[in-house]
Amino acid sequence: MSGFAGFAVRRTVAAVLTLLALSVIIYVVFYATPGNVAQITCGPRCSPEQVHQVAQQLRLDDPLYLRYWHFLEGIVVGQDYSTGTSVEHCSAPCLGQSYQSDQQVMQIILTKLPVSLSLVIGAMVLWLLLGVGTGILSAWRRGRLSERVLTGITLAGLSTPVFVIGLVLMIVVCGQLELLPFPEYVSFSDDPEQWAWGLLLPWLTLALGEAAYFARLTRASMLETLAEDHIRTFRAYGVGERSIVGRHALRGALAPIIALNANDFGSAVGGAVLIESLFGLPGIGQELVHAVNVVDLPVVVGMVLVIGFFVVLANAVADVLYALADRRVVLT
Amino acid sequence: MRQPSDTARRVAAVSVGLVLAAGAAACGPKDNDAKGSGGDSTPHKGGTLTVLNSSPQENFDPARLYTSGGGNVPSLVFRTLTTRNREAGAAGAKVVPDLATDTGRPNKDATVWTYTLKKGLKYEDGTAITSADIKYGIERSFAPELSGGAPYLRDWLVGAADYQGPYKDKKGLSAIETPDERTIVFHLNKPEGEFPYLATQTQFTPVPKAKDTGTKYAEHPVSSGPYKVVENENNGEHIVLERNKYWSTATDAERKAYPDKVDVKSGLDSSVINQRLSASQGTDAAAVTTDTNLGPAELAKVTGDKDLASRVGTGHFGYTNYIAFNPTVKPFNNIKVRQAISYAVDRSSVINAAGGSALAEAATTYLPNQKSFGYEPYDLFPAGKTGNPAKAKELLKEAGYPNGLTVTLTHSNAKDFETSPEIATAIQDALKKAGITVKLQGLEDNDYSDTIHNVKTEPGFFLAHWGADWPSGGPFLAPIFDGRQIVKDGANFNTGLLNDKSVNAEIDAINKLTDLDAAAKRWGALDKKIGEQALTVPLFHPVYKRLVGKDIRNVVISDWTGVLDISQVAVK
Amino acid sequence: MSEALVATQVPEADASGTSGARQFWRRLRAQRAALVAAAVVALLVLVALAAPLLTAIEGQDPTTYHPSLVDSARGGVPIGSFGGISGDHWLGVEPQTGRDLFARLVYGARVSLGVALAATAVQVLLGVVVGVASALGNRWVDQLLSRIADIIVAMPLMIMALALLAVVPGSFPRPVLVALIIGFVAWGTIAKITRAATLTLKELDYVSAARLSGWGTWRIARRELLPGLAAPIITYAALMVPANITIEAALSFLGVGVKPPTPSWGQMLTSANVWYQAAPQYLLLPAGALFVTVLALTVLGDGIRTALDPRAASRLRVGTGRGQEAKS
Repeated sequence: MSGFAGFAVRRTVAAVLTLLALSVIIYVVFYATPGNVAQITCGPRCSPEQVHQVAQQLRLDDPLYLRYWHFLEGIVVGQDYSTGTSVEHCSAPCLGQSYQSDQQVMQIILTKLPVSLSLVIGAMVLWLLLGVGTGILSAWRRGRLSERVLTGITLAGLSTPVFVIGLVLMIVVCGQLELLPFPEYVSFSDDPEQWAWGLLLPWLTLALGEAAYFARLTRASMLETLAEDHIRTFRAYGVGERSIVGRHALRGALAPIIALNANDFGSAVGGAVLIESLFGLPGIGQELVHAVNVVDLPVVVGMVLVIGFFVVLANAVADVLYALADRRVVLT
Repeated sequence: MRQPSDTARRVAAVSVGLVLAAGAAACGPKDNDAKGSGGDSTPHKGGTLTVLNSSPQENFDPARLYTSGGGNVPSLVFRTLTTRNREAGAAGAKVVPDLATDTGRPNKDATVWTYTLKKGLKYEDGTAITSADIKYGIERSFAPELSGGAPYLRDWLVGAADYQGPYKDKKGLSAIETPDERTIVFHLNKPEGEFPYLATQTQFTPVPKAKDTGTKYAEHPVSSGPYKVVENENNGEHIVLERNKYWSTATDAERKAYPDKVDVKSGLDSSVINQRLSASQGTDAAAVTTDTNLGPAELAKVTGDKDLASRVGTGHFGYTNYIAFNPTVKPFNNIKVRQAISYAVDRSSVINAAGGSALAEAATTYLPNQKSFGYEPYDLFPAGKTGNPAKAKELLKEAGYPNGLTVTLTHSNAKDFETSPEIATAIQDALKKAGITVKLQGLEDNDYSDTIHNVKTEPGFFLAHWGADWPSGGPFLAPIFDGRQIVKDGANFNTGLLNDKSVNAEIDAINKLTDLDAAAKRWGALDKKIGEQALTVPLFHPVYKRLVGKDIRNVVISDWTGVLDISQVAVK
Repeated sequence: MSEALVATQVPEADASGTSGARQFWRRLRAQRAALVAAAVVALLVLVALAAPLLTAIEGQDPTTYHPSLVDSARGGVPIGSFGGISGDHWLGVEPQTGRDLFARLVYGARVSLGVALAATAVQVLLGVVVGVASALGNRWVDQLLSRIADIIVAMPLMIMALALLAVVPGSFPRPVLVALIIGFVAWGTIAKITRAATLTLKELDYVSAARLSGWGTWRIARRELLPGLAAPIITYAALMVPANITIEAALSFLGVGVKPPTPSWGQMLTSANVWYQAAPQYLLLPAGALFVTVLALTVLGDGIRTALDPRAASRLRVGTGRGQEAKS
């Protein structure tokens, strides 16, 4: 277990450094990006004096390093901020306030995150089922009709942008056939059934776009493993085909599937923007796009850190799973 | 591999789109006004109205909203000194009293305006609305924490230019007097006959000082209108309004407020909103949108379907899309080049790119084609429907470009917006016929907005648009053509850098008029006079077409907002 | 296969490098599906290259507006059946503008295929180098590279595009910029896959054997790992091409796509989306073109993989369950 403890410590340190690096990059990028932040926040018709006041209010005139320092300070000790009528404290870890709305960034994250996680976790289950299932079938039952149909579906999913799949599915399934309600986010704690119904179509859309990668990867890895010596040995010993595929070949395919899944899960938390926008799901991705458009730096940094957190977490989990699946691997 | 959407772009576009931003999203019938779709179209009280929107109702604070005429959803909660007349068509472009007993009593030269509040006005908690609350509401809109509103109060009120709001400056604005609880007097630094129009904006909403929570006020602003906020999730993403029992029709002749509850959902993709309205399933049957038009593709489908077509409202908002020139940049310093381009423009292909003849009307005047603006039709450089390349070539020759010329057209990369690449490409294609090679310079939207509104970086030839803060020539012409409004070190809207003494003098003269009809006529004449300088090429005025759910009744669309008025809608 | 066997076999294969290439072609030619796919890919590339010629034969170009061919009152839907297909406009015209769809489709192929292939090359190069290096390097190298990959994955395309916009001058050729942006943004996954596959391979007998016989890291990577990695990489790369085409579409929203009026499939798909009901062929054309491309690349990718890795060929028969004895 000490190996695992060491792993956990190393990974935590690395994660913190990764997130810090991410936040520095965002600060620098936004510093170099066109767009007069104070003018956008103040409104297009604000006078130069008003713009100046807003810039002071938001500390936009401070040099970059000071602004970044202020941001770090907020995370460690919290921040005081003024609502105009009173001074309030945002306790550590404080990610600051939105330039646009004065909302706490942490508060925004806490409202958006359940939506994104609901979307991505549900979709992940589907893309694994559909993708890995298709992959197994196409490695094992090559040329059969079922394999061809599934492969066709996953390739179509891959070659069509999600906004096309999503809209067409919605028009047909919700509008014309009336099989499902129009997607809408209802929180799981409010009504689990509505939650699932409302997200079914977004899950399916996201999964269709992803499944092909898993299908191809599973197929390739399984073919690889099926040809290895020990499999032949099993076969020679009369081990059933079903058991060979299920237990042994699939196991060999696990590593790359886990790696890919970790990657996709992490980036989908913030990257499913198209799906979130199309279906009106108020998640991290949609908020990020909006914040980038109005150059709302605190919100952008907050959102990117959340995404970064999940990418890092997913990869660490993947490494653990990978080690469990393949005992030869040592956690580093 | 999963990337941002066009919705995001559209949202971004709208949020920078000046006047349209806060309240004036639009639709509605000019020709088939005030008509429900059900058999019995008499409106009844009760039920829940659902609003499906793409942009959230952000910063729901009367100090921060930038609206035309008080906005749509905001106007359900915020009452103002005056408001827009809630009638269909041209009648709806009139200003009428709201909290005040009349639209304002000016002194002789229109520099002092006095208002008296109606009796019995109450907030959602039953306390009385006083003139001091209106003064306080205006004062707080000057706080840098609560920025976002229109610039007129700052420009017009005496001594307001440096005022920083009540949080920093406890003395308050001396330009506003409240001699008693029902009287409020405004002192302006110059004559402004259109002050009653300004008093429709949400900054004229009463805010009780004791309830002011600064930047947090937007979460639960105190209602003076027919509905109060019972839920405001995540900065206006989901707002639920219920009846304010202290509001009464006895003091409000404008708002009908039929539904018991209004549920505003936002963050939806525009195509999804239109799909949901057309399907009208469940609560969507009693749904409207206050910010999403039918796009060209949807229009093509709707026009073929009788039921759907009957649920489309058409409206006109005072808005012009145009090409702007910066005459300090060569070759646009030469008026003949500007005229040549005016002749060469193919308005039919521009209109097609903007969504076709049902969604855009050709514009040859800078002012919108509505009576309240003082619209006087003119076409100084007649290009016909598809352009006059021969005449353009002739002018270019006179200007010293016998072999044509190459220019750069700057536009925004925002999708589905009036300054978008599609319109720019249509212009590029049309000018080719006149021997003008157009290179396109597409800028990211914020960059575009910064670039064209800065005198130091302003390009010579770009796409622009302007919308009405209220339906009159004043806010349409003055910011763009008044030489004294050129801003050297900030956001400048006089992009033609016009500083013409006679134009400035005429603007001042019209501002003195308190007879708004007489003023309108002179704005129209001034527009034509400015048009001769060919500083802009008017392209088109947009037409708003919007769907409503199948149970929606009493759709009223005025020329002020061009969109269905949510305070008039019934769901039963 | 014993360690000794591998150790002796490998140098042999090494000596017959030229016959390896010949073998590859022979094996590729043996697969009918792969040949058809190769022909389709070749045809697509040919169409892209010959776009000016093809549109000249048709007598159209991709940028000229034809306002008279669309119904302005109905949102600009093309006049005539099947989206205005005629002798002049082989595949009909674009809604709203009336631009020729055939011309836009074939010109779009140039941008889309060119950008996607170039971006894929960048991704594969970066991904493989980073993936192999982090698998073979020491713990620090691995950690550093893996964390950099994390940062790239976590950084949304929006932000990356903004960053590049801020530093790249406007005069820089757009298609190259787009290919580079896509390449630099989306190599994380291939790096992860390469790393995982390399870690597995590293433990395999023949690689261990090579290591034991004192080969350097670089030589092992080149001689022993890359052939083993070819299978997963080619499989994945074949999928990245279409994915890159859709990223290109997303980039055009952000203002860093190819500049209009230059057409691309991605842009066509994006604007055709809402026209699905009113003018279906506008959506179906680029969607169909993309599907055919994906299908052909996938099948071709499989074929190349099989030809590169002879053991796979026999495995395929095992995989069908037809029961042949596998051999290498």
